[in-house]
Amino acid sequence: MKYILKVFSATFMSLILSFSIANASSGVFKVSHDLGFGKDTNLDAITKGRLFQVVIKTQNRLVRPDMNGVPSPSLSTDWSANSDATEWTFNLRKGIYFHDGSAFDAPDVKYSLMRAKDPDIGSPVRKSLNVVEDIEVVNQHTVKMKLSTSFADFPLLLTDYRLRMIPEGSGDTIGQTGVGTGPFMVDKFDPEGTTILKANPEYWEGAPGVAEVHVIAIPDAQARIQALLTGQIDMNRYVPFNQKKIFDSNSKFKTTVIPTGNWRGMVMRTDTAPFDNPKVRKAVRLAVDRQELVDLVMGGAATVSCDTPVMPSDQYRLNMDCPQNISKAKNLLREAGYPNGVELTVYPATLEPTWPTIAEVVQQQVAKAGIKVNIEMVPSKGYWNEVWMKKPVSMTRWNQRPADTILHEAYHSGAKWNESYFKNSDFDKNLADARSELDFNKRKKAYQNAQMTLWEQSGTMIPYHVSRLVVTSSKVKNLDAVDHFSIQWHKVKVD
Amino acid sequence: MQSDLATNNKQKNNFEKVLEILKTMALKPSGFIGLSILIFHILLALMSPYIAPYDYKAISPNTMLLAPSAEHWFGTDSLGRDVFTRTILGGRTALTVTFFGSLIALLWGGLLGIFCGLVGGKIDDVVMRVVDAFLSIPWILAMLLIVSLLGTSTQVLIPALGFFYGKGIVRVARAATHDVIAKDFIVSARARGHSNMSIIWNEIIPNVRDAILVEGAMRWSWMLLGFSSLSFLGFGVSPPTPDWGLMISNARGLMSFAYWSVIAPIVGLSSLIIGINLTADAFAKALGIDRSTKAPV
Repeated sequence: MKYILKVFSATFMSLILSFSIANASSGVFKVSHDLGFGKDTNLDAITKGRLFQVVIKTQNRLVRPDMNGVPSPSLSTDWSANSDATEWTFNLRKGIYFHDGSAFDAPDVKYSLMRAKDPDIGSPVRKSLNVVEDIEVVNQHTVKMKLSTSFADFPLLLTDYRLRMIPEGSGDTIGQTGVGTGPFMVDKFDPEGTTILKANPEYWEGAPGVAEVHVIAIPDAQARIQALLTGQIDMNRYVPFNQKKIFDSNSKFKTTVIPTGNWRGMVMRTDTAPFDNPKVRKAVRLAVDRQELVDLVMGGAATVSCDTPVMPSDQYRLNMDCPQNISKAKNLLREAGYPNGVELTVYPATLEPTWPTIAEVVQQQVAKAGIKVNIEMVPSKGYWNEVWMKKPVSMTRWNQRPADTILHEAYHSGAKWNESYFKNSDFDKNLADARSELDFNKRKKAYQNAQMTLWEQSGTMIPYHVSRLVVTSSKVKNLDAVDHFSIQWHKVKVD
Repeated sequence: MQSDLATNNKQKNNFEKVLEILKTMALKPSGFIGLSILIFHILLALMSPYIAPYDYKAISPNTMLLAPSAEHWFGTDSLGRDVFTRTILGGRTALTVTFFGSLIALLWGGLLGIFCGLVGGKIDDVVMRVVDAFLSIPWILAMLLIVSLLGTSTQVLIPALGFFYGKGIVRVARAATHDVIAKDFIVSARARGHSNMSIIWNEIIPNVRDAILVEGAMRWSWMLLGFSSLSFLGFGVSPPTPDWGLMISNARGLMSFAYWSVIAPIVGLSSLIIGINLTADAFAKALGIDRSTKAPV
C-alpha cells in the first residue's frame, strides 16, 4: 500500500511539474521601435514621447477594445451610465497588483485619468478627456466619472491606447519605470538600445507565454526589414506591401494583412502662407489622385479616404468620393491669387517607409495643377520633435482611434496635436454637439458634418487608411490578427 | 609679335604634352580601360537627355516592377518608372556635382597646402592643426549636419563636398611643396626678392602641379562615392531627379525579387568609380609619379 501511495504521489507530482513547465513563460519575443522621439522617448503613456511598444505590454486600461473594436472589460469589469449619460460608474477588477507590489484600486484610476487632464503635463490626450469633470472614488473598487456633457460613447473614449492605469503618485517616475498591471514588467529601459521586459507571473489573465520581450531601437525602416530577415527581431508591423514577396515564399515567416484605421498623410500648416488660405489647401488636396496612391504605395491594400481620419469601419465615418480634379484645383488656386501655382517643400523621413514614396507620387500628381513640390529628406531620429508641427508641410502618420477621439485630437482648435493648426468654430461646435447628443442618428450627423468641414477646409491630406502587413517569424504563435492596441500580449508564444 | 609667338609655342607645347600623357595612358591596358569608361560616362551624361526613351518622372501603377523586356530594357521600378531611362540619366548630377566639387577641393586645398609649405613657421603650424582637427571629424557626419541645416541643393553640396575633400589635398600639396622649396631655384628666387605669390605661381606650382592633379583625380572618385552615399541616405539629390545612390536606396528592399531595379544603378556607379580610379592611376604613372611609394602625407 505504501508502495502504491509512493508511486501515486510521484506520478501526481510529475504531472503537476510538467503542467507547470508547460505553462511557464519561456522564450524571448523580439520587436523593434523607430526611436522617432529621440531623447524624449519615455514610458509615460500620456506624454508625447511615449514608447508605446513598451507601455501597451506593461500597463492596462480600464476598458479595452475587443477584436472588433467594441469596448470590453479590462481593469474595469463592468460599467453603467445614468439616464442622460453624464455620469458613468465603473466597477473595478479585484485582487490586481501593480508590478511594484501595490494593490490596484479606485484612487489609482482617479490619479491616472486626472493626471492625463493636467495642463502642466500637457498630454495630447487631454483635449478628448476634458469631458471628464470629476472622478469620484465611491469605494475601493468603484469609481464614478462625472462628465461636463452627455456622452453616450464615453467607454469608447476610455479604450484610447494611452489611458493606462499607473500607481497613485508615480507620475514623477513612471517615464522611466513603466510600472503597471500588465503582462510584462520593465527590467531595463534603454530607449536607444534594447529595452528588456520580463514576464509578470502574477498577471491577472494568466502568466505570459514568453519569458522576455526585447524592444530594440532600429530607426531605419529597411534596417528593420533586414533585422526581421536575419532573426534579430521576430515581428515587423510596418512592412511595405511592395516587399511582401520577400516573405510570402519564405517558410520562416508568416504574413498577415490587417485592415486598420491607421492613416498616413501630408500636413499643411493652416497658420502659414500660402496654406492659411483654405482654397490653396483644398487645391492641393483636390490635385491628389488617392486611388493611384493606394495602388502605387500600398499595392492596393488600403481604403481611400477623402481627408477624413475616421476609420472605414467606424459607424460615424463620412463616406464620399473624391477623385482627382485638376481643373478645379487650378481654379481654386487662381481664386486664391496664385494663377501660376504654388511651391511647397515637404520633409519626409524613412521613419515611416511609405513617406518618401507618398511624397514622390504626390509630387508628380499635383504638378499637373501647377503645384511644385520639393522633397527634402530629413533624419528619422527626432522627426516628431524637429519636423512635425514645425515645418510648413510635413508628413504624418496616426494609429487608429475612435471617431470622437481622433477628430478632437488632431483637429480641435485647442488640441495639443492639432498638427495643421486647424481652427474652425463650426467644426468644434459639431464635435461638442455630437458628444452631447443621445440620439444616435443625430450624433452621427454631427460627426459627419465635422468631417465635411474637414473636406472643405482642412490642411491635412489623408489619402487612405492602410491595411497593415504584419510579418512575424514562424516561431511566433498566438499573435492576435488585430490592430496593435487590441492585441492581448500575454497570449503570444515563441517556439 | 615675339610675345605672341612665344605664347603660341607654349600653348602648342602644353597641348603636345597633354597628348603625350594621354597617349602614354592609353597604351597601358588599365589606362585604356579607365579612359574608355570615363569617356563613355561623360558622353552618356551629355547625351542621355536626348536618347532617354521615357520620361524619367512618369509614374504608373500599371507598369510597377516589370522585369526587363524589349519595351523596358532594364525593367521598371516600384513606381512604374523606366529603369534604363533613370540609369542613363542617373550619373549626370553625380558627375557634375563631384567634378566641380573636386575643382574646388583642388583649388583651396592645393593653394593652402602650397602656401603653408612655403611660409612654414607658426602660420603653418596653426593651419595644419586646424586641418588635422577637421580631418578627425567623420565627413559624413559633418555633411549630414550641413545638409540638415542648409538643404540638399547643388549650391550647398558642391562647396560642402569641395571643402571636406580638400582637407587631404592640403597635406599632399604641403608635402610636395616641402620637396621643392629646398631646391636652388627657390633660394635664387628669394635672393632676387620675389614675393611669396610670385614664387608660388612661377616656381612651385609648375613643380607640384602633377602630384596635386593626381591627388585631385583620386579625390574625384572618392567624392563620387561620398556623394552617392549621401543620396543613398536620402540627403543627396532630391526626388524625382534620377540618381544612382537614390535609386539603389529605393530599390534595395526589393533586391530579392526585383533585382533589375538595383543592378543597373550599381553597375553605373561602380563602373564610373573604377574608370576614374584607373584613369587617375594611369595619369600618375604617365607623369612618373609612383603612388605606391609617395602616399599622401
